[in-house]
Amino acid sequence: MESSELARFEAVVLPHLDAAYTLARYLTRHDHDAEDVVQEACLRALKYFDGFRGAEERSARAWFLAIVRNTAYTWQRRGRGEALTIEFDEREHSEAVADEHPEAELLRSSAKESLGRVLDRLPPEFREVIVLRELQGLSYKEISDVAGVPVGTVMSRLSRARTRLQEALQDEEAR
Amino acid sequence: MAHPSFEAQLDMYLDGELAAVDARELEAHVAQCPECARFRDARLALRAALQARAPAFPASDTLRERVRAAVRAAAPARASRPLGARVLWRALALAASVAIVALGSWRLGQERAAGDTVRDEVLASHVRSLMPGHLTDVVSSDQHTVKPWFNGKLDFSPSVYDFAASGFPLMGGRLDYVGGRPVAALVYGRRQHLISVFLWPATRGSAGGPGVATQQGYHLLRWTTPDYAYWVVSDLGMAELDDFAQLVRQAAARLQ
Repeated sequence: MESSELARFEAVVLPHLDAAYTLARYLTRHDHDAEDVVQEACLRALKYFDGFRGAEERSARAWFLAIVRNTAYTWQRRGRGEALTIEFDEREHSEAVADEHPEAELLRSSAKESLGRVLDRLPPEFREVIVLRELQGLSYKEISDVAGVPVGTVMSRLSRARTRLQEALQDEEAR
Repeated sequence: MAHPSFEAQLDMYLDGELAAVDARELEAHVAQCPECARFRDARLALRAALQARAPAFPASDTLRERVRAAVRAAAPARASRPLGARVLWRALALAASVAIVALGSWRLGQERAAGDTVRDEVLASHVRSLMPGHLTDVVSSDQHTVKPWFNGKLDFSPSVYDFAASGFPLMGGRLDYVGGRPVAALVYGRRQHLISVFLWPATRGSAGGPGVATQQGYHLLRWTTPDYAYWVVSDLGMAELDDFAQLVRQAAARLQ
């Protein structure tokens, strides 16, 4: 690869590292796994960069995030990460919270966790559409490109995921 | 909810995906429909809650440095390989095209750049799959097990056939990533040899005619049907691989 090509790769891909890490973090739910996934995705992106002819900012983002997403799924299939759909681990999580938060904050944060816990428990194909739409502001078309499903599927997944999250939100408020 | 058809529209509206003219109509409806207004408010409350509580995770400086270093380390390695491979391939392609002109079906020139990359990826994927533990994600000789396994993993449903009766037993399938998209890979056996079949929906204009190549001791065959692009890779002899490809083509043609 010529240095100008490497510079072009860095200019196209590296601006999306935050988005990549956020997606990987929500899919793997672990800091270290997410970092490994992002690094592997960058190397894959480098490999496929010849085939990428995106002209604009947004399509580059969707192209790269699609690779990140597929890398995260491959990662999980290889058994290197926790299963993407594994149930929330109460004990492990409680310890983490207790480590990081003073006791006074624990009460507040346990109520606060609920929505996040439900998000973490959503099947990955629902979790990813929420992350891509609500946290990263991708269009339906871009999400469709990232997840490799038609726009109609993106819309129905978003709808179902939102309804599920709203139920969690209402449960919290009822408590 | 009394207006299920409005739910989808409201989601589109709130996501900024509804055309302006439809948006105005929808606004007029919501203004006089308490149920739709409640639906909208619940969605807005969820959005606010997610923004407040579901954080984005910025990449750390450590990760940025790691990635930059890894990319720079990988980039020079790429430079030396494709040059040699491409020169060889173009020479082969030139020789092949002379022969293929007679067959009248080879459109190498117009898709050489894209085809090169895909061929490299297909071959790399096949070779990688031969390493221990990478061959198949779903191990089964039953086409009715392998086909459903792809459901939900791909945006298409690949046709899966077992050719055990012809001496090419189905061994399983896996997901792979070629040409910037997820693809189905089917694995077949022939004595001690393995055959990978890659397929994905054909895109208009990029189809190209059938092609053959030999690279690093592997044979590659490529063709497209109206529905799918196919690549077949193996270290099997070309004659036998051709027989196998013929079986796949016939099975796919019967389906249509």
